[in-house]
Amino acid sequence: MHLLISLRTAPAFSFVRGLSRRRSIRLTSEGTKFLLFTFGIGLAAINTGNNLFYLLLAMMLSLIVISGLLSEHCLRRLEFRRHVPDLIIANEPTTLTLSVANRNRHLPSFSLRLFDVVEGQDVDRGLAIHLLPAQSSVLLSYPLLATKRGWIRLEATRAQTLFPFGLFLKKGRYPTEAHLLVSPPIKPLTVRFVDELVGEGQGESLPRRGDGTQLYNLRLYRSGDDSRAIHWMTTARTSQLIVRETEAEDQRRIIVVLSIVAPEECESLFERSVTFVASLLSQLADRAYPVRLIVGTEDSGLGSGSAHLLVMLRLLALCERQSPEAGGIARHGERIPLTHEGERGYTVAIVPWLDQAASTNTVQADRVLHAAQLEELTHAF
Amino acid sequence: MPFDQAFALSSVLLATTAFSGLVLAKSVPLWLALPTTIILIISLLQARGGFSVRRAMAQITVSPALWNVLLIGAFVLFLVDLTVISRDLLPAGIHFLVVLMSIKVVTLQQRRDYQHLYAISLMSILASAALTTDAWYVPIFLLYLLTAVWTLLLYHLTQETGKGSVVVRPASTAPCHTTFPSRITHRFFWLTNGTAVMTIALTLTIFFLIPRIGAGMLQKTSGETLRTTGFSERVDLGTIGSVKQDPQIVMRVELPDQPAVEKDRLYLRGLAYDQYNGRSWSHSETRRRSLTFVGEGRIFLARPTGSRSADSLSVPIRQDILLETLDTAVLFAAPFAEHVSGEFLTLQTDAMGGLYLPFPPSSRIRYSVTSQVPRLAQDERTASILAYPDSIRSHYLQVPVGSQQVADLAHRVTQEATTPFGRTLAIQQHLLENYRYSLEADTGTLSHPLEEFLFTRKTGYCEHYATAMVVMLRTVGIPARLVTGFLATEWNEYGGYFTVRQRDAHAWVEVYFPHSGWVIMDPTPTVNTLVATNRWESIRRLGESVRLQWDRLFVRYSAKDQLAVVHGVREGSDALRERVSRWGSLISAPIDQIFSRLTHVARTFQPGMVELATGVSVIGLALLLLMLRDRIGLWATTHLPTSHPQLAIVQLYARMVRTVERHGVGKPPSATASEFAKLVEREWKAAGPMVADVTALYHQGRYSRTPLTAGELSRAAEQVGRLQSLIHLAR
Repeated sequence: MHLLISLRTAPAFSFVRGLSRRRSIRLTSEGTKFLLFTFGIGLAAINTGNNLFYLLLAMMLSLIVISGLLSEHCLRRLEFRRHVPDLIIANEPTTLTLSVANRNRHLPSFSLRLFDVVEGQDVDRGLAIHLLPAQSSVLLSYPLLATKRGWIRLEATRAQTLFPFGLFLKKGRYPTEAHLLVSPPIKPLTVRFVDELVGEGQGESLPRRGDGTQLYNLRLYRSGDDSRAIHWMTTARTSQLIVRETEAEDQRRIIVVLSIVAPEECESLFERSVTFVASLLSQLADRAYPVRLIVGTEDSGLGSGSAHLLVMLRLLALCERQSPEAGGIARHGERIPLTHEGERGYTVAIVPWLDQAASTNTVQADRVLHAAQLEELTHAF
Repeated sequence: MPFDQAFALSSVLLATTAFSGLVLAKSVPLWLALPTTIILIISLLQARGGFSVRRAMAQITVSPALWNVLLIGAFVLFLVDLTVISRDLLPAGIHFLVVLMSIKVVTLQQRRDYQHLYAISLMSILASAALTTDAWYVPIFLLYLLTAVWTLLLYHLTQETGKGSVVVRPASTAPCHTTFPSRITHRFFWLTNGTAVMTIALTLTIFFLIPRIGAGMLQKTSGETLRTTGFSERVDLGTIGSVKQDPQIVMRVELPDQPAVEKDRLYLRGLAYDQYNGRSWSHSETRRRSLTFVGEGRIFLARPTGSRSADSLSVPIRQDILLETLDTAVLFAAPFAEHVSGEFLTLQTDAMGGLYLPFPPSSRIRYSVTSQVPRLAQDERTASILAYPDSIRSHYLQVPVGSQQVADLAHRVTQEATTPFGRTLAIQQHLLENYRYSLEADTGTLSHPLEEFLFTRKTGYCEHYATAMVVMLRTVGIPARLVTGFLATEWNEYGGYFTVRQRDAHAWVEVYFPHSGWVIMDPTPTVNTLVATNRWESIRRLGESVRLQWDRLFVRYSAKDQLAVVHGVREGSDALRERVSRWGSLISAPIDQIFSRLTHVARTFQPGMVELATGVSVIGLALLLLMLRDRIGLWATTHLPTSHPQLAIVQLYARMVRTVERHGVGKPPSATASEFAKLVEREWKAAGPMVADVTALYHQGRYSRTPLTAGELSRAAEQVGRLQSLIHLAR
């Protein structure tokens, strides 16, 4: 036993094992027939002792060997590089690119079909290279449609070839590991709902300069200021050019809290809720609202713009449902960790499931969307 | 040529090659060969792209149902052939294969049809291998292999390009590279032929290495045997004449120990006859004895009774004989066979030294014979009386009844001779001078052919001459006998062997001398046969030699030969090793001597001198390597193979940066290559042009589409070298 273990850990054994993992050969139907013929001729040669049968047997065997050598040559010294985006959105087609280089000095590679290796399985993306000349490379792009949020791990790239005679299917595995993060899908929400939500949050807006009609501040004129903004009365009074700053009307902060506690039977609603939050965040970002997302213990912080939206979508892509049995830690996660006063805003809590026993003091928010409301809002998702 | 067209053409060519094999093996009758040939030619023309043929073929539409009926009909024909006509599975099967091939060639539409055609052609080439061992199989096999490689490759590629419509065409930077050309390009042509050549080389390697474990359970004899005359127990006078114009090869005889000269003629003895009844020759004693082994390696001792053992008079001659399939069990060899070895279990001999196998061989056989050619002793040339043993007198002085006229002639011819040898020569001379050689003298139906030859026609051939001499010698009291065999005169200088044909069948005389034994005498005049010495004759002999090599290396290749090759390789490697070690010792001996003398001197003067010298040498070598490391690295970058030319220029650039840094001009991490070149130009003016040149080449090699040439790469290496020299100068 000890000997076996030491043998298994020996460098030669690991080399062979690595080699077998990298290469695999499968017989095609034509190859099976060819092998049967070879076997038949071999039998005839042994039985008759006829040297011309041995010659034909040698021909068949050499065709097999040449087939193996050439297919190996096709797969050797290929270099693969994968280019993937940082974040993709579920149910939206994304283009991935794969660059393939043939580092052989003289001979081209033929009849290559390429596959992504995902969870140990070869996934056909319909990629084929009929001819890749020596010392040249090619950039292939293909669409990818992710259906689930979370990580997609592209473990490797598999290249296979039937070259030269189509008798054997030789496969080679090339390490091109890449991780692809998939955010929840973005669905259209009713304009009325978003307007209503924004309208309710009016009171939580912080005074800040921007376009509007209300006076925010008076200050000295600076080069480049709009001359129409000069406050003439104060200018006359102070004998200095004073401009008027207005308060932005639509700049209000919204905090979206997603409850991640839900039993297993609420899995579907939870996922739809995540999708709903992603869609809501997308709408709010489109309207340039400063938004903050809190998912469990994760907090995106307050921000706006597309970069901040990506941060929030990343949180949503990775959030996982926690079952109520997980206990106090999970419940603790529901509390809104408002760190400082300056980041307060209109809070919308999305609660796909509510523990009846603890319903009174779990989530404190300006607007709470419970399971029933969520069902109504997301039934079309 | 477009791929599809080339594929169709190579497929039909494959079938045609296999069919040619069957035709050359004479296994396809004319009534079947002719229509099949026409069908194949039309298919070839159609595949080649003959417009008119295509148009004509397009107008001929035959429904699949009719083809099915034809197939059933072919099968019924096969059954009839098997049970009524051929009554043998192999010929009937071959006829069926040919019919199937014709049908398939015409109905090639789907890929499955092509697969069927390949299977049929493989069976056909297999069948022709079973039916022949002739050398024509070589070109057929090579052609088959070549077309098979083309066909398999094109089969695969046409399948792949057919799938092209469903695959996503990659958004390539150079789309033309990823899709296969639609026509056979020059490069593809040579690539495929190169693959075929590789396959042929590998086939030969595997063929010679594959272990021969043939059980021979289903071995079939290769059929036709050559009919010979003159080697049965009874031979009518005049029978050899029937084969004297037959050019078929009977055997090939190599003389491995003989020099290339003196190979004008070689007698190959078959059987000897002692009894002549006036019309035919026969043996007085038909009893045969089995030969015994001598020494190791299945060598038969074949010295005939009445012959003398080897002495200074006899000349040993070794022959390696490849005998064709004959209808006789007689083995031929130069007189007189002493030792025989070959692939046979037993061997027999008769009282007069004839060698026999237990039964006629079913295929070609190869055997080796060592013979002792007797010479006449000088004292017997001049002896006036010779004392013959009774056993000889009783057997070899018999003459047919009523040959008084012949006896008178013999006495008249020999009346002036005083010795037996003189009388023998006189009779031989008389026959040589007074009779004309002619193959037209048919004496088979005559009641007294010998008298007819000697006194009436005075024309005849070897049998008549030899019979006349034997009878005449016997009438004057000299024991003699008639021998039939072959007289080899056709030396093949390419293969180094005698080619013996049916027409070389010959009869001659053996005369007995008590001390010398049986001595060959040939009274037949030398026939000036028209031997063509032109170019064609030498080409024919070359072909002949190729056929022999084919037979030896392929048809007769056996486990024994494999063993011989292994032994040969081992002995060769041993000899090589020995030679290398001898050279090594020759070279190293004086060096060792000088070194030991130096060591001795060093130890005499200073005990620690040797260790010191060794240490100094090692350190010196290390310092030398350290000093030359840049040069070595530079050489390695440009001369050693790298995976990509990009890599070489990148390495050279990095080397240049390191070199410049040693001068104190470092490359800031934020600086691009161009900025760094400008920096160097400012800080170290002398290095500026070199750095600028290498930087330009670096840009070209790394970022442009055109890769660097070998010349440009060496220019970059040269510039880096100059830069390094500049550093050394500065120091």
